[in-house]
Amino acid sequence: MTLAEAVEVVKAEEEVAARDPGVELTGCFAADLMSDVLAFAAPGSLLITGLTTDQTIRTAAIRHLTAVIVIEGKEIGSDMREAAREESTPVYRTPLSKYEACALLMQAGLRPCRRRAAGSR
Amino acid sequence: MDEEPLAHYEFPILGRAYFLGGRASTSVKRCLTEAGVDEETIQRVSVACYEAEMNVVLHARSGYVAVSVYEDRIVVAVVDQGPGIEDIELAMKPGWSSASEEARSLGFGAGMGLPNIREQADEMRIESTVGQGVQLVITFRRPGRPSQRGERRDG
Repeated sequence: MTLAEAVEVVKAEEEVAARDPGVELTGCFAADLMSDVLAFAAPGSLLITGLTTDQTIRTAAIRHLTAVIVIEGKEIGSDMREAAREESTPVYRTPLSKYEACALLMQAGLRPCRRRAAGSR
Repeated sequence: MDEEPLAHYEFPILGRAYFLGGRASTSVKRCLTEAGVDEETIQRVSVACYEAEMNVVLHARSGYVAVSVYEDRIVVAVVDQGPGIEDIELAMKPGWSSASEEARSLGFGAGMGLPNIREQADEMRIESTVGQGVQLVITFRRPGRPSQRGERRDG
């Protein structure tokens, strides 16, 4: 599934534009705890989150995540927007809850990002 | 004779400055990319650096990250001045955290920091003096590069 298709599934609005909305996603990860994102998210994934701080963007950038979708129609603050432009990380907003967004994406065929086996990286 | 690194970078970390959290790690990532380090190693170093940097931001007064690039490995030292860690073994347990409520509201303090660093690194050494701070040294072997340690000859 491409980023553009995923955005369509969850009826999200663009907040910080993607250079290539046609990029293929490797999977999806949903979390509000950035330590969990660092520990478990895989590069190339889409992040679904309710955390609207610049830390969301820095974490996504460090982990090479493709884009961030913020849930519940939450407002994107200027610090998050500025960080997203700095890191070239696309950001979208969906009116859906995290549960509903994840359920719809899974139904549409976006798989969970591949978890690393224990003991590997 | 001590081995000279091919490149060395240092970045300060300011404690409690949440809005700056991650800047040092992002700079490390950029420097390693410019130095031509492979992508897999950059990912591992960046993730570990970010976790270590956020530990300093969340718990300490100040600190720094120092990165040395060698032919066969990258060595990262993160040193802070702060309360230190009373029980390192406890701090290494996934899910255990002493982070403040403010830190948790920023999405940190899940207790995955040190375990995640250990997961990324090939070697990890952590020492702490309570009331003074923490010294963390992590080593990442670069793939496809034979170990240079113990094999260097003069001349």
